[in-house]
Amino acid sequence: MTDPTTAETPTETIRDLSKARDVIVCENVSKWYGDFQALDRVSATIKEQEVVVVLGPSGSGKSTWIRCINRLEQHQEGRIVVDDVELTNDLRNIEKVRSEVGMVFQQFNLFPHLTILDNVTLAPIWVRKKPRPEAESQAMALLERVGIPEQAQKYPGQLSGGQQQRVAIARALAMEPRIMLFDEPTSALDPEMIKEVLDVMKTLAESGMTMMVVTHEMGFAKEVADRLIFMEGGQIVEQNSTEEFFSNPTEERTKLFLSQIL
Amino acid sequence: MTDLTTQERVSQRVPLWRDVVVLKWVTQVFLLIVVLGAMWFLANQAGDNLRARNINTQFDFLERPVDIQLSEGIDTLPNTGGRALWAAMVNTLRLSIAGIFFATLLGVVVGLARLSDNWLVRRLGSIWVETLRNIPLLVQMIFYFSVLTTLPRVGLGTGPINGWLHISNKGISMPRIFIADGFYQWLVVVLLGLIPAWLVRRYRQKIQDQSGKNTSPILWAIGTIGAFALLGLFVHPAFSWLGAVFGGIADLVDSLPNAVPQIGFAALAVGCAAVWIQRFLSDHRSARGHLSLTDDDWFRIAFAAIASLAVVFVVVSWSGLSAWTLNSSRDLFEVLSDKFNVDGAARPFDAMRPDIIQKGKFPNYGKSGLTMSLGFASVFFAVVFYTSAFIGENVRGGILAVPKGQAEAAKAVGLGRGQILRHVVLPQAFRVILPPTGNQYLNLTKNTSLAIAVGMSDIVQVGTTVFNQTGMTLPVVAIWMLFYLSCSLTISVIVNWFNVRMKLVER
Repeated sequence: MTDPTTAETPTETIRDLSKARDVIVCENVSKWYGDFQALDRVSATIKEQEVVVVLGPSGSGKSTWIRCINRLEQHQEGRIVVDDVELTNDLRNIEKVRSEVGMVFQQFNLFPHLTILDNVTLAPIWVRKKPRPEAESQAMALLERVGIPEQAQKYPGQLSGGQQQRVAIARALAMEPRIMLFDEPTSALDPEMIKEVLDVMKTLAESGMTMMVVTHEMGFAKEVADRLIFMEGGQIVEQNSTEEFFSNPTEERTKLFLSQIL
Repeated sequence: MTDLTTQERVSQRVPLWRDVVVLKWVTQVFLLIVVLGAMWFLANQAGDNLRARNINTQFDFLERPVDIQLSEGIDTLPNTGGRALWAAMVNTLRLSIAGIFFATLLGVVVGLARLSDNWLVRRLGSIWVETLRNIPLLVQMIFYFSVLTTLPRVGLGTGPINGWLHISNKGISMPRIFIADGFYQWLVVVLLGLIPAWLVRRYRQKIQDQSGKNTSPILWAIGTIGAFALLGLFVHPAFSWLGAVFGGIADLVDSLPNAVPQIGFAALAVGCAAVWIQRFLSDHRSARGHLSLTDDDWFRIAFAAIASLAVVFVVVSWSGLSAWTLNSSRDLFEVLSDKFNVDGAARPFDAMRPDIIQKGKFPNYGKSGLTMSLGFASVFFAVVFYTSAFIGENVRGGILAVPKGQAEAAKAVGLGRGQILRHVVLPQAFRVILPPTGNQYLNLTKNTSLAIAVGMSDIVQVGTTVFNQTGMTLPVVAIWMLFYLSCSLTISVIVNWFNVRMKLVER
């Protein structure tokens, strides 16, 4: 006996993002390293539950931009508003944004002196002031979600790269962020480990997380992204829906880039 | 030539001079014999030479009177050579322990200052390091000494706060708290307090783990011990009966025959070797239960067995050792018995104010205050400042050695500045800081031997006087070497223990 309302759910849900709230707003963001301009008037808006993939050749400013969004880098001109909080020099705003935004790095950056479990519970205990048993049961649930609960008592050095990156995702999720930033999460991994990390990211996207992903994985971009942003020389060259971007790119530079990597 | 089967080839014996296993064993045994033989030969030769030139190497000068005045310490007018060297050792240890403590504190401050965001603080840190580490320690020591001697001359009734604090060209003298007759009874109360303190700590930790609130279990444990210490001030006479117990133990030890410690030591040596060999064998068992020992491993097992048998031989043939053990343990228990057999009203602690006495022409500090001589102060400041520059550089290097990504990842999950330093950066930096800082501790301890330059009575200065008076150069030098060696080895063992504990777990 099946319930008629749940029996026929469409396999592919097309999300309607037109009415969603803007969670990340960048207006004319510029940044210089000395004389070198890393970001040149970058403007973009990311809506709630949207998955945006940022593409571009190396040195195009993708990582710098994504790192500006949680203030690991400081922008010098323009405005960045994350979840209605503007990033200024106000330390309280910076801390608020950082606890709302999770980040996953290319080099994992797990804390090597702490066990996997302690890596995940560190911030909930010290920033969110959660009781240890509660933080630990939440951490175990997250490790279950990324598929490695049996490694909880090991140290990062004892895990493979793919496992470490999945722990890094669990560590970011432990702060219950509304937005997740991924800075080339699979670039430091062996080919056979890329899939396990991408699978975790896919389920995360399906659960409705707002995600901004810098990656070179075109398969992932095609399958998961709602929108693609192509950057070069610190500027956004083109942004478009995934389908349009791959089938019908407008800019000459985008066509050249796609012809080189596809 | 006929073809051999595999079976035949394997079972063919290798000639001895080509057999790796045999060669290895022969070399090990040969080397052991050569080393032991060389040591025996050198000792014999040196002994013959010394006898021929009529140089005495006996240690009986330790018992004979000397005429030495120490600048400070537990005994400034010791009556025997041994007592003088002992008082001087205490001075060196005081200097080293205090020096290590303050050099570490200052070094951490200097290291953090050099990494500060503040330009002025950073510059000051650099100037401190570059100045102090580039001027020889001896020069600094003499400099501080000559600056300090410009302090006003000591006279009766002088000092900033007369009767409480005196600062003069004879040093600093301040009130002293010292242990009195009731101390040992009081100590029993404090030791009993360790048990409830441990329970309190465990209980508070349990609450912290369950509720997540910081319940500061360590502070509570310290508080419990403090409460017992306070309580002990009033109830300590309750433990005077322990004196009779220790007296009984002393009598028991006295009645034991000489064979008891001999059997004890021999059993201990054999037992240690047996346990070590057993552990070694079980550690080298593979998962399937097979022993996989290399030739070196066999050699170590054989060596452990031979060493334990050698110890048995020594304790059995040298009955003086057992007699000495028995006597000294009896003395120890008799002393303890005396310490507890005191008047019930005796206080655990007493305090005295500094005094100035005039013996002969010049006034000087008396014995009742806690006095730091100018020599001690100048050696102390010199080693602390000099070593802090090196420790500061270790701290700076250790923090810089933690990858930038670690702090970034900690920032990204929302940790604050102090939390990042405490939970992420410092625990990782500590692993890098510790080994070179351990070396600095060894250097500091050995550098205190320069104290002779400013007339502070450390073990080298007093030892020099002792051998000038008795002519026992070699024994005194042997005592120096043994003393510094055991200090250094103790520091090394402690630092290594920390090192092993802090090691990162890799696959």
